[in-house]
Amino acid sequence: MSAELATADGHLPDAGHDAGHGDHGHVSAENNFLGLPNIKLAMWAFLGSECMFFGSLIGTYFFYHGKSLAGPLPNQVFSIAITSISTFLLLMSSMTMALAVDATRLKRLSSARTYILATAALGATFVGFQVYEFSQFVEEGLKLSTSLFGSTFFVMTGFHGAHVTVGVIWLTMLSIMISNGKLNKERSPITVESAGLYWHFVDIVWIVIFTFVYLLEFIK
Amino acid sequence: MSQAHDATSGVTHSHKKHYLRIGAILTVITAIELALPMLKHYPEIWEPARPLWAPALIIMSVAKFGAVVGEFMHLRGDRRVYQFLFLSPLMLATVVFVLLSLLSVVMFRPFGAGYAVTAEAKALGFVEASTGPAFEQPLDDAKFAAAFDLAKGKEFADGKKVFGEKCAACHGPQGGGMPNLGLNLTDDCYKYGGSFKELYMTIGKGQAGGKMPAWAGQLKGEEIRQVMYYIKSLKGTNVAGGQPCVGDKMP
Repeated sequence: MSAELATADGHLPDAGHDAGHGDHGHVSAENNFLGLPNIKLAMWAFLGSECMFFGSLIGTYFFYHGKSLAGPLPNQVFSIAITSISTFLLLMSSMTMALAVDATRLKRLSSARTYILATAALGATFVGFQVYEFSQFVEEGLKLSTSLFGSTFFVMTGFHGAHVTVGVIWLTMLSIMISNGKLNKERSPITVESAGLYWHFVDIVWIVIFTFVYLLEFIK
Repeated sequence: MSQAHDATSGVTHSHKKHYLRIGAILTVITAIELALPMLKHYPEIWEPARPLWAPALIIMSVAKFGAVVGEFMHLRGDRRVYQFLFLSPLMLATVVFVLLSLLSVVMFRPFGAGYAVTAEAKALGFVEASTGPAFEQPLDDAKFAAAFDLAKGKEFADGKKVFGEKCAACHGPQGGGMPNLGLNLTDDCYKYGGSFKELYMTIGKGQAGGKMPAWAGQLKGEEIRQVMYYIKSLKGTNVAGGQPCVGDKMP
């Protein structure tokens, strides 16, 4: 974020144009020696580290799966209907995010802002569903300290929910920056695209969690 | 090159249709995923293809994952350095995930296994002492009772030790129970049955949705039997300050 904010006002003429091919070795405040935009390169590296982060959390969940001494157990608390709805909303938010990136590329900033806000709204709804789900689980006696299932489940899905929340705040800030002109047509494609990469990543983490943690529980 | 690799390079045609198509595909896959568990209500379809359901769900998940990463994040056809930065840790994470899942199976004692074969167990004909999950084997009440009678008058020291370590936290040091935790084991009432077999099953498999934990993964069959005898010896001792009677009175 800070990199975008720092350069949002004094944008460079070539920003947003040289992310493609053929200009290796061009070094600027925003593009590195590979000719790639720093923010996008950094985002992919960050998402690589996030793979390890969530891979460990999901792996830990399965390491302890079925080893809980005290209930309730997954098939006693999971509600496939509720989780399906929130899963679908998050999946669709990935599509609106892709459309937002597409719109910035075509310099249609107001339509991009609409897609960004739609994405943020879908994400916020997902978080709302998760808050509801967590409160239901606690009511049914599953807390962080109840069992191995409680600890590993809440830490894993809680970190995912926190990532979605950060994404919602990020997207909301981007839409405000578009509104007040801080994010102009030249600067917006790479900025929105990088936020989009983060958003899609949060979505794919949930694709994995939904199948392995929820759906596989139901077909046993 | 593919149309998906150049989101920031100033190409002026829209990819909207492409993204909408991907969104539609994702919707269809999700619908199939959700319909799948409902097939359970049709056993004639569900049962024959049972081994296929888990792989089918995993394949659909991988397809969705690939569609979002490849198309929405346009990693497909994007610069090699991005692919390397993301895909190499992704592979490493997958290996960690698979190894942890496999280790979990190896490191923990499976439910009901790990029984010590003792001379006593053999003499009593406890088949679970050899192999396989204990609770799929017949448990003989008469044999339990015979062993209990033999041990009567002794202190059930081994069972008492297990009780102190595992049960006393909820059932109280004397077995009188604790409010909202364990039931009183010193009265004549048993909520989940008071026969040897039923006690054995309650200790091993747990009760009350796991409030009473399943100890089979933690205790050997021998230990479960010992603590069961100890608990049986507590019946009717009615320690002072015990919790009120819950369940059926047993003679």
